[in-house]
Amino acid sequence: MTILLDPTGERQPTDRPLTSRLDKIEGVTIGLLDISKPRGDLFLDQIQAHLEARGATVRRYAKPTFAKPAPVDLRARIAEECGAVIEALAD
Amino acid sequence: MPLPLTDGLLVVIKRDCDTCHLVLGVLDQIPGLMIASQDDPGFPHDDVFDDTGLELSWELQTDTTPTLYRVADGAVVASAAGWHRQRWEEVSRVTGLGPDLPASRPGCGSMIFDPDTHERLLRQHSPVTLRSRRVELGSSEDPYEAMAARGWSDGLPLVPPTEGRVEWMLSGTNRHPNAVVCVMPPDLTECTVEKVAVNAVMAGCLPEYLPVVLSAVEAAASDSFNIHGLAATTYFSGPIVIVNGPVRSQIGMNSGVNALGPGNRANATIGRALNLVVRNVGGSIPGGIDRANLGSPGKLTFCFAEDEEGSPWEPLSVERGFGRDESTVTLFAGHGPTEIWDQLSRTPESLAASFAGQLERVSHPKLALLFDAIVVVSPEHARVFRESGWDKQRLRTELMRLLTRPGAEMVRGAGGISEGLPQSMAGGDVAKFRPDGLWFVHAGGSAGLFSAILPGWVNGDIGSMMTTAVIR
Amino acid sequence: MHDIADLETRSIPGVFVATNEFVDAADAQAAALGLAPRRVFIPHPIQDRTDEELRALADACIDEIVTALIG
Repeated sequence: MTILLDPTGERQPTDRPLTSRLDKIEGVTIGLLDISKPRGDLFLDQIQAHLEARGATVRRYAKPTFAKPAPVDLRARIAEECGAVIEALAD
Repeated sequence: MPLPLTDGLLVVIKRDCDTCHLVLGVLDQIPGLMIASQDDPGFPHDDVFDDTGLELSWELQTDTTPTLYRVADGAVVASAAGWHRQRWEEVSRVTGLGPDLPASRPGCGSMIFDPDTHERLLRQHSPVTLRSRRVELGSSEDPYEAMAARGWSDGLPLVPPTEGRVEWMLSGTNRHPNAVVCVMPPDLTECTVEKVAVNAVMAGCLPEYLPVVLSAVEAAASDSFNIHGLAATTYFSGPIVIVNGPVRSQIGMNSGVNALGPGNRANATIGRALNLVVRNVGGSIPGGIDRANLGSPGKLTFCFAEDEEGSPWEPLSVERGFGRDESTVTLFAGHGPTEIWDQLSRTPESLAASFAGQLERVSHPKLALLFDAIVVVSPEHARVFRESGWDKQRLRTELMRLLTRPGAEMVRGAGGISEGLPQSMAGGDVAKFRPDGLWFVHAGGSAGLFSAILPGWVNGDIGSMMTTAVIR
Repeated sequence: MHDIADLETRSIPGVFVATNEFVDAADAQAAALGLAPRRVFIPHPIQDRTDEELRALADACIDEIVTALIG
């Protein structure tokens, strides 16, 4: 466990911050990343229907295997093509 | 430490103390008195307890010399500080002490409370507790990525500030880690010695650089330097650190070839550490408070040493009122360098005219007085002035003369340029720089007929003034 | 969750959807990553659900998912 001393004035929390959220999902391209466990695609189909009904554009992606992080080029594509991402369905 | 006697009388004195000299006769009157000396183990004779390490005085927390103690069962049961006949007679149980002396006389300050000594003894005797918040990295986080991800970096990689590295860095100073160096704008956070050390580790400093960084931070946070204004400006400038005195060679700084450039660890990391402190402790982040429209590479690091040995003139520190044997940092809000090329001038008049030609262009040819500048005079150019016997004041006078122009040429609209001085200045002559606004520093390699201008940010109450601090 | 964490660092807000079984594992992964992505949990198990039931699970959590992206 690496422990570092905080070089700052300590006014912020120490975790890496999340990026800022969207203002709305209408008009946003949302990527659905299927981790490729069985039945996950069905779940994501229904999520897609809801998001499209709310005005978002949906793109579908799938990892080759749920056992490892997505390949770097897949993440790069998502980062390029989408404004937000939902990863599902881990069980 | 245990006291050197379990029962009896002990007096703590030092040679450098008038009252201690005064009571020497009294000491002879007290049988079996143990004498402990803080500064000279031969004072007043050879048979004294040598407390030049101040361990005993620290144990007793002696604040005055002389102080007489009665010890019983290994502990102090009574004491008398300074000379006071009645109190000494009570403690010693000897009467008739110092018949020729006044009834009392105050003592002198004990050496354990001399400022640097006190901090050193504090460090020696109390274990150092590092107080910075601990940041536990995730087990799969790479420390280098983790620091960058948390926004601690100036864009370049940082050395991870582990507890071990910070303790190592703190060995470079006698100052106590919890001592507050300054209150750092814009967030107005208390910046301790420890926080500076953490950032100095990240910058890549060695412990021997830490005193220079600490003094640079102090100078930067001063009212006169106005780091807050400088950090928030849309202009190019950042803090420039110029080092004078013995420390330069002690820590291996560079004042020669590439003095303003890369290659020297002390130059590069001291300047970087200051900027990391301003950023991380003060909260001045590019895109946040820092809105420089273009900025400059110097805002990563800009620190160099003056070449005093080769200079025809007194060092910058001496000109600013400090001793040649004092180590100092001088902070200047500026950027650059901009160039002065002159490979042909053999006379000081001609070379000064070249200097003036470039100095005229600082910020804008038609602006004046709002900003200061430093001219870094390189050795080959300095030789021209040395051989003609021109000191700094002679050069300054010449430049001020050359840089004085009719206000009518400089006002807004003159020459078809909207920028310029207010119309009210059209009547007289205007000097480009205020009398205290032009400084000379000697640095650079011995081959190269170029000098440099370091143009300043805005001066005066709303801007920044050059600020010098002694390194301790 | 590595993917979501990585995309967060690329300025893509994300949310990770998993079953309840995953709560502790998700916490551990967040600690290991030094970054805590938004998470939505649905009841376990998944594998033996009918298609109807799966769609119902999606209906039940869509609001929470959207909140995680805009909240």
